[in-house]
Amino acid sequence: MRPLTMKRLLWTCGALAGVLLACVVLALKLGAVPISVTDLVLNLGRIAIGRSDELPTEYRLIVFDLRLPRILLGIMVGAALSVSGASFQALLRNPLADPFVLGVSSGAALGSILALIVAPQFALLTPLGAFLGAGATIAAVYYLGRREGQLDSTTLLLGGIICASFLSAIIMFLMTTLAGRDLRGMVFWLMGDLSTPVPAGLRWIFTAGLLAAIGAIYTTAADLNLLLTGEREAIHLGVDVTRVKLVVYVSASLLTALAVSVSGAIGYVGLLVPHAVRLLFGSDYRLLIPASALGGAIAIVVADMLARTVVAPTELPVGAMTAMAGAPVFIYLLRRGLR
Amino acid sequence: MTVRLNVEQASFAYAASARSAPTFTLGATSFQAHERELIAILGPNASGKSTLLRLISGTIAPLSGRVELDGHETSRLDSRTRAQRIAVVHQESPIIYPALAGDFVLQGRHPYGRALRLASQEDIAIARNALAQVGAEHLAHRTIGELSGGEKQRVILARALAQQPRLVLLDEPTLHLDIGAQVELLERLRQLAEENKYAVVVVTHELALVAEFADHVVLLHHGTCLRVGPPAAVYQRELLEQVFEAPLEVELGPAGRPRVNLRARRSEDAT
Amino acid sequence: MEFESSRDLTNRAEANFAKTRLAAPGRWVMLLIFFLFDAALPAQTRIAQGAAQSPANAPASHLFTDEIGRRVEVPAAVEHIVSLAPNLTEIVFALGKGDHLAGDTDFCDYPAEAAQKPRVGGPVNPNLEEIVALTPDLILATRAINRRETVEALARIGLPVYVTDPHSVDEMITSVEHVGEVLHAEKAAAALVGDLRERLSYLDRRIAATAPRRVLFVVWTDPLISVGSGTFIADALHRAGARSVVDTAAEWPRLNLEEIIRLQPEVLVFASAHAGDTQHDIDALRTRPGWRDLDALRRGKIVVISDAINRPAPRMVDAVEQLAHALHPDSFGRGGSPANAAHIAEEACACAR
Repeated sequence: MRPLTMKRLLWTCGALAGVLLACVVLALKLGAVPISVTDLVLNLGRIAIGRSDELPTEYRLIVFDLRLPRILLGIMVGAALSVSGASFQALLRNPLADPFVLGVSSGAALGSILALIVAPQFALLTPLGAFLGAGATIAAVYYLGRREGQLDSTTLLLGGIICASFLSAIIMFLMTTLAGRDLRGMVFWLMGDLSTPVPAGLRWIFTAGLLAAIGAIYTTAADLNLLLTGEREAIHLGVDVTRVKLVVYVSASLLTALAVSVSGAIGYVGLLVPHAVRLLFGSDYRLLIPASALGGAIAIVVADMLARTVVAPTELPVGAMTAMAGAPVFIYLLRRGLR
Repeated sequence: MTVRLNVEQASFAYAASARSAPTFTLGATSFQAHERELIAILGPNASGKSTLLRLISGTIAPLSGRVELDGHETSRLDSRTRAQRIAVVHQESPIIYPALAGDFVLQGRHPYGRALRLASQEDIAIARNALAQVGAEHLAHRTIGELSGGEKQRVILARALAQQPRLVLLDEPTLHLDIGAQVELLERLRQLAEENKYAVVVVTHELALVAEFADHVVLLHHGTCLRVGPPAAVYQRELLEQVFEAPLEVELGPAGRPRVNLRARRSEDAT
Repeated sequence: MEFESSRDLTNRAEANFAKTRLAAPGRWVMLLIFFLFDAALPAQTRIAQGAAQSPANAPASHLFTDEIGRRVEVPAAVEHIVSLAPNLTEIVFALGKGDHLAGDTDFCDYPAEAAQKPRVGGPVNPNLEEIVALTPDLILATRAINRRETVEALARIGLPVYVTDPHSVDEMITSVEHVGEVLHAEKAAAALVGDLRERLSYLDRRIAATAPRRVLFVVWTDPLISVGSGTFIADALHRAGARSVVDTAAEWPRLNLEEIIRLQPEVLVFASAHAGDTQHDIDALRTRPGWRDLDALRRGKIVVISDAINRPAPRMVDAVEQLAHALHPDSFGRGGSPANAAHIAEEACACAR
């Protein structure tokens, strides 16, 4: 018996936070313009004592106005995608569930594209459209995945893949027919991209939504453990299954929507990270959720660091990096599941 | 002996929609279970056993009549309180992620925890004790996936015990067990009911086991409760043959418990 | 507000700041907020560094409205230009400001010096850090290929971005004038623009009497992609005495070959940097089903012009002249054709009706 203790929870999260911090420092250092750690520390010190006006201008612009916001965005996107992946895995009782594989990302993408087309002047409509798109898609996939009243693993995945390709077709149609020049950047965005800074107003909403949604999911962490052993069992062990499902469904859709609305469809993080965390730390959701949030942040920061540097000065979309790592793992999990 | 479970004229009906005719009905059923008693709900497939189990467990409310545990309607209890009083053991469901058997048993403490439900020392002690009661202490550090059918059944039972319930419901617990494990399980259930003052209700279609271990039998057929009583009273040849649609022989054993044998069809044809 | 309070804290703690720097967790929280929301940075430090370098009393900058209606504050002396599109790079060189070009994109290949400049990545996904590292005091972008998000991101960190948006040959020339103003190269711009306008009006006069030829401008052969009627290329065709058989609002329409066979353009127009390569491709097309049913291809009515037509830059007028001479040779005297004039291959005259 190895019950989860507060000590183990804090130590694991602390260690992961340390790794994340190291990755952030490395990501701050590396880039098209290399910056030495000494300078970095010196300048951080200057900011810490309130002398930010003494910073060399291009340092301030590159490190603090471009690189750092991008890293922080990556942290939030990674946390959002991983936690929503872990949540969908519990909600649908399927270890292969992932917002990208289930088509939820495509739904969010379509939602935000529609919002951009209908009212491009309201930046806040984009995340709202993404949320509605994500919610509608997961509902559709959930409906498609049922066979004789039971949620069937294979049917569910097929439903997700079909939804994703259907939605992608609609997106392609919209992008071809509307010919709006401002949709051209969407091609990058559809592959998952962090290079576009988020407007300041959206950052607050994004941060608040992210914390609220992860917090809400975390309150159900113990219930999710039981939900994984079966819905009937969970009910008999005192879980208010309807409430838990609603909370997780809404929160996970919100997380996906937030991530997609700022970074496009970055695939496989929601699959890869929770699985790695399970292998390392076990499948207890009370640990899995915070560890996935941190692990997802690490994964995206590293993936984006690679995307920025491997063919610098040209950038790769970060989604290409995650898909390169994620697709083989997905196949591995699928094969293992079939055996 | 105090009455734990009181099922009084409880009935239920399933319908596709609120207005359409019911597709299945469970007629009014009445019986009582005292502490330390083992009650068997007996019947072939589609006789209404599972519906009755769901009524007792409180996940559905009876259409008429009442189902009370210690004087409280089970369907009116909030889910947490219900889980503290009633433990339900289903046929095993697939486990997606490997968990240690000990941690699995700790899940039984879920209805007692708060917020994060991190296990307290007391929870761990109760889970250890539950494993000991089913003779499975040595399994605590094994993952569920690598256990045999009988071992898994014991661990699932231990989780139910960790809930410290007043009523234990088991749905076809012997389904995937060989005859030796079946007998061991029912002996254990009897013993646990005795030790912990539980009432135990087992849903099954195993005629022979019920005859040997049950205090009372509730015989269901096509949604109707045909007979309630001790095995000797319920086990009548014509009745059982009609319900199970098989040629049977019933005789009374030395301890006053009936014995059921299959009457070979071939010999009947020969005569 | 947050900045003010942090400053107060700092003053008080100045004496033993080494200790405070590590001891005050509140400051680190503030630092995090500071990073997260750059709005917390004091406004003064956000002004481009050009202002800080020039004397306080001289006019530090001029205000312009760019071609998509944004207001752009450009320093009085532009020393470091970053161009985010090949046509803008060409304009900068044409205006004699090539020395001040600090960086351009992977696709900037004309003039040859442009390829030697530091690269900031592709026009659609330039590396913002690389741009900032070049310490530009002006960034040039064009709406047709740069992303709105790139422009907004650069503007947000305080870098002036001037965006052009030409849709026709005339608007291209106006863009040259605008860029000339922004770069303080008005004289060079006036001379260049005057020359371009004169050459175009000469063409107009020469081909005014002739009927426009019905052409298909081939951007890509597999799949067949041409240009829409709203593009500057369509306008350039028009200026050269040609009319595209394709009439659609889409900018780069993907076309059905059947439709083209029905329309039967008189002449196929290809644009290429190396005419030889294109000739090879055209030979391959002759054997392909569908393509070989095009009268223009069968009869060799093909014009290959400079790929300069693809870029709204001064060189585009060269391409217009080439096309005009190739399509309407009778309108121009024998000696009047440009040195690198294209020609219609008429080798297959035998099969003409």
